[in-house]
Amino acid sequence: MLSYIVRRLLIGVLSLFGASVIAFTLTRIIPSDPADMWMGPRATVEQIERAHVELGLDKPIPVQYGIYMSKFLRGDWGISVVTKQPVLRDLAGYLPASIELIVFGMLVGFAVGIPLGILSAAKPGRWVDHTSRVFAITGVALPSFWLAMLLQLVLGKELSLFPLIGRVDLLVEIMNPIRRITGLYVFDSLITGNFAALKDALWHIVLPGLTLAMYPLGLATRMVRTSMLEVLREDYIRTARASGVREAKVLTVYALRNALGPVLTVAALTFGYSLVSTFLIESLFAWPGLGRYAAKAIVSVDYPAIMGVTLLVAAFYVILNLGVDLIQAVMDPRIRWS
Amino acid sequence: MWKQLRDAARRAKRNPLTATGMSLVTLFLLIAILAPWIAPYPRDTLAVHPDEVFSPPSMKNWFGTDELGRDIFSRVVFGTRISLRIGTIVVVLALAIGIPLGLIAGTFGGLLDEILMRVTDMFLSFPPLLLAMAISATLGASLENAMIAIAIAWWPWYARLIRSEALSIRERDYVEAARAAGATWGRLLFRHVLPNSLGPVIVQASMDFGSVILTSASLSFLGLGAQPPTPEWGLMINIGRHYFLTHWWIITFPGLAILITVLSFNITGDGLQEILDPKAKRG
Amino acid sequence: MKRGASAFWVRIGLASLFLVLAVFTLSIVATGEELQVAVHLQGAEVVPYWDPSDGASGEIGLMNNLYEALLRYDAVTNTFTPILAMSYEQSEDAKTWTFKLRKGVKFHTGNVMDAHTVKASIDRTIERDRGSAYIWSPVDSIEVVDDYTVRFHLRQSAPLDLIVAAGYCAYIFDPEYSDHDWFNAGNDSGTGPYTVESSEGSEKVIIKKFDDYWGGWEGKHFDRVVFLSVPEASTRRLMLETGDADFCEQLPSTDIEALQDNSTVRVEVNPSFQNLMVLYNNQRAPLDNALVRRALSYLIPYEDTVAVALGGHGHVSRGVIPYGLWGHSDRVETFTYSPTVAKALLTQAGYPDGGFKFLLTYPAGYEDLRKTVELWKAACAELNITLDARAMPTAERNAIARSPDPVKRQDIYLLYWWPDYANPDSFLSGMFYTQERPAYNLGYYSNPVFDALIDYAVTLPAGSQEAIDLMVELQNILQRDAAGIAVWDMQYLRAMNTSVQGYVDNAAYPNVVFWYNCYRE
Repeated sequence: MLSYIVRRLLIGVLSLFGASVIAFTLTRIIPSDPADMWMGPRATVEQIERAHVELGLDKPIPVQYGIYMSKFLRGDWGISVVTKQPVLRDLAGYLPASIELIVFGMLVGFAVGIPLGILSAAKPGRWVDHTSRVFAITGVALPSFWLAMLLQLVLGKELSLFPLIGRVDLLVEIMNPIRRITGLYVFDSLITGNFAALKDALWHIVLPGLTLAMYPLGLATRMVRTSMLEVLREDYIRTARASGVREAKVLTVYALRNALGPVLTVAALTFGYSLVSTFLIESLFAWPGLGRYAAKAIVSVDYPAIMGVTLLVAAFYVILNLGVDLIQAVMDPRIRWS
Repeated sequence: MWKQLRDAARRAKRNPLTATGMSLVTLFLLIAILAPWIAPYPRDTLAVHPDEVFSPPSMKNWFGTDELGRDIFSRVVFGTRISLRIGTIVVVLALAIGIPLGLIAGTFGGLLDEILMRVTDMFLSFPPLLLAMAISATLGASLENAMIAIAIAWWPWYARLIRSEALSIRERDYVEAARAAGATWGRLLFRHVLPNSLGPVIVQASMDFGSVILTSASLSFLGLGAQPPTPEWGLMINIGRHYFLTHWWIITFPGLAILITVLSFNITGDGLQEILDPKAKRG
Repeated sequence: MKRGASAFWVRIGLASLFLVLAVFTLSIVATGEELQVAVHLQGAEVVPYWDPSDGASGEIGLMNNLYEALLRYDAVTNTFTPILAMSYEQSEDAKTWTFKLRKGVKFHTGNVMDAHTVKASIDRTIERDRGSAYIWSPVDSIEVVDDYTVRFHLRQSAPLDLIVAAGYCAYIFDPEYSDHDWFNAGNDSGTGPYTVESSEGSEKVIIKKFDDYWGGWEGKHFDRVVFLSVPEASTRRLMLETGDADFCEQLPSTDIEALQDNSTVRVEVNPSFQNLMVLYNNQRAPLDNALVRRALSYLIPYEDTVAVALGGHGHVSRGVIPYGLWGHSDRVETFTYSPTVAKALLTQAGYPDGGFKFLLTYPAGYEDLRKTVELWKAACAELNITLDARAMPTAERNAIARSPDPVKRQDIYLLYWWPDYANPDSFLSGMFYTQERPAYNLGYYSNPVFDALIDYAVTLPAGSQEAIDLMVELQNILQRDAAGIAVWDMQYLRAMNTSVQGYVDNAAYPNVVFWYNCYRE
């Protein structure tokens, strides 16, 4: 078991290293002259050359990579050409917003998806089953950026139910500023007793959260349904039913317990997927998270920011996959020997 | 083999969801092929009509007009062609890279296999959209480059899939027998391993068609794919984002097109998998 | 379900209901004072540069509320308002300028503003030499005559009053608090009416009133102003309509149309010195042939671009100096949309059937620009000319345009241009003076006659008849060569809540709201 973990960890580190090489090479291949962003839109020839030197762009690419990685490992992830701030500080600032959004989305998605999957498996072939299957397939087929706009249009503008953008109202932020503990506004306002801000933060997270929830919803419904269907066919379920255990108990206690494994896998996968999905929807909601930062970085060719985001997301992904593999290995010893 | 097909067809008929999916896919293909005849204003892929900007849906323009007066219905119809092209090229490209690599790794094993595994690990450590975004940005924003980018992000999945199939087939009796009888590796590869490992890959590829279209629309939405005035659905939504709060029709119809297309391919792919291998663990 | 189980669920349901009600009730708790808050929306980053010596772009709106310069220029009346300088005089040859400073001005740090701090600020800006610092290039040295008198010695005559009133790089700040990293952490050390209260990255900054401001706080003012970056124009518009925002600079024309009917929003269409420039690659065939360049220039549907892309809010350009800036004149020749003339010119050049494909790069993210390009593209297609138009981020466009290998460069480069201060020379030398290694002469134009005339022009007094005549001649040289052309001169479209009073748009400070002068009715 230990050797398996060690082996997978090593592979993970290797993958991250490879990812850094790929990302770095890609950003350097893009023809890009960030001098104007660094110096200003009327940069003179001398200023442009100075910018190149200051940004280290006059050195050969492998040297640049070496310099970048040595600084990176010491915690200096470079300065963003757009914000002029250290990239690490930017990332730390924007990460909680994205985490909050993704967690909210996944919670909603699972809260709806899991029961739906159970019901669907309990009554296969009936209308509940068909509706939930359509739901499931729609959820993963929906273009998230489109759904975001529709929700903004209908629920935000036409019906005026929810705010269109941002995490909190500006007025609320000035009158009842949220003390920043974790950076998760809902959590921070809750534990500091700032109820005006709590309500406002909840209201603001609904639209983007719903948008993000569709994919986990779809996937969860489907995975739970599939697993439950299989488990329900097992002998011991029939035995339980035959000995008079009530259906509700059979579904929740016996079957679900076994179906939970794949659900964990789904959770890990959707987290990774949602991290990137936020790139598309955060700009629409002016949600100050990682996705918006990354989308801006890519569009402005902000090398250090792109590297920082890429490595951070890749790290998350690797850790998540590792976690999934480990859980599966714990639950099914056969996998370890392959 | 015919019996298998007949059984498959019978199973298909019993499944209304799959039947719906397949009819939608057929409709999609028909629209793509017959686009110039279906679209009422086929020149609107490029032509502009400054006098007719922002007309809401009407008898003249079923889906309304956009910010340059172009008929949205015609553009959505032509967008079908583009989506079909994208899906096909990307999947074929990804298969063309993934199958040979995966096949060789799975059949011959050893160092080649190890190297492939590590390389695919590296690629798979990126969420596919992120990788496609990075490559697109590098190559320069255009539809062709976006297709290359998505194919590069996609091939590791197919390589892995066919590799595991090839691995299991390699151990089968008839392969051992052929080896013992003196068959060359080449013959082994093409006569035995390849035909039997293609199944799951083909199924996966057909399921992926929809995801590829969605990924390409996402890239265009970010400005990294098709360029104006191409009537690509994702691009139409990207441009529409400036106007949708007052002119709802500009994003609604392209978005619906994406949804229905991806949906129909997903349902069909699902159905295909059920039909061809009903006992397989799905999901 | 067994009774025990159902009772359990009922209890859970009641508890949740109670929790929700509690949160709602508690959230209605009112808090203290009635603060006057204004919300200012921008499309771009609020603070690309925190350092007052470095500025050059979108931070101008914020910075002009935190910092002040010696004078403020009114482009419409062509007068100066004394801000940190009470009065000034210039020598006969305009090479020596003496400013008398205002007394009793405090920095936000508590220190006092005087001649030493003025000299130190400007010296630092000159030494850092970033952003628009080159505006100080005529300055040879700055002398502290006494505690409240500063004298500038120039190398050549220049309109220093315009320079000290520039929107960028002319701020006076506390030299004791001028560490670059300190600025970047979100701090400011200006003399302006507001100071930074909090900031979130470069997208949101909240400023609060500086109690010791020299102008005092009598009458109605805003206590707080929030600067917020919202990239989506449609969202900005919606925030205005719902009252969530008070001011929005630069909305696309389509949103402005939609707001005309809204009684809570006031729309202003104001002049600007900003135009859209097209720079042809003068060194690459077939664009090295003036006939071809002129032909292309006759294919831009000028009137349509203003009508469709700008919604009518702009003028078709007449020469590269925009409408409203001195040097703009009816005597400058102009192109019109005429496919027949274009075809005749192409035939004359030896390409009767067109057949070109040109790489055209333009800034990504501007709808009016994109529409203009598409209109041009459609018109060119009629004559069998393909414009391969690519929207790109600035960094990428400029890497291509400044590539040391001329083969990699583009054929046509589009950009917005505006002057750092009200100075027409910016349009002429910035984009057309010979540059061995190009900075913004991205049409790679090189004309020694033109260069010589420019060198002479900067020696003439600004706005004099001789200077104006020279500007006309320079523009006509460019027009005949079609080295590069201006398409349209845009207007600034501002939208604000009708309750906000006191706003005056000043073209010399594009997109700046001097919030101190504003109040809510």
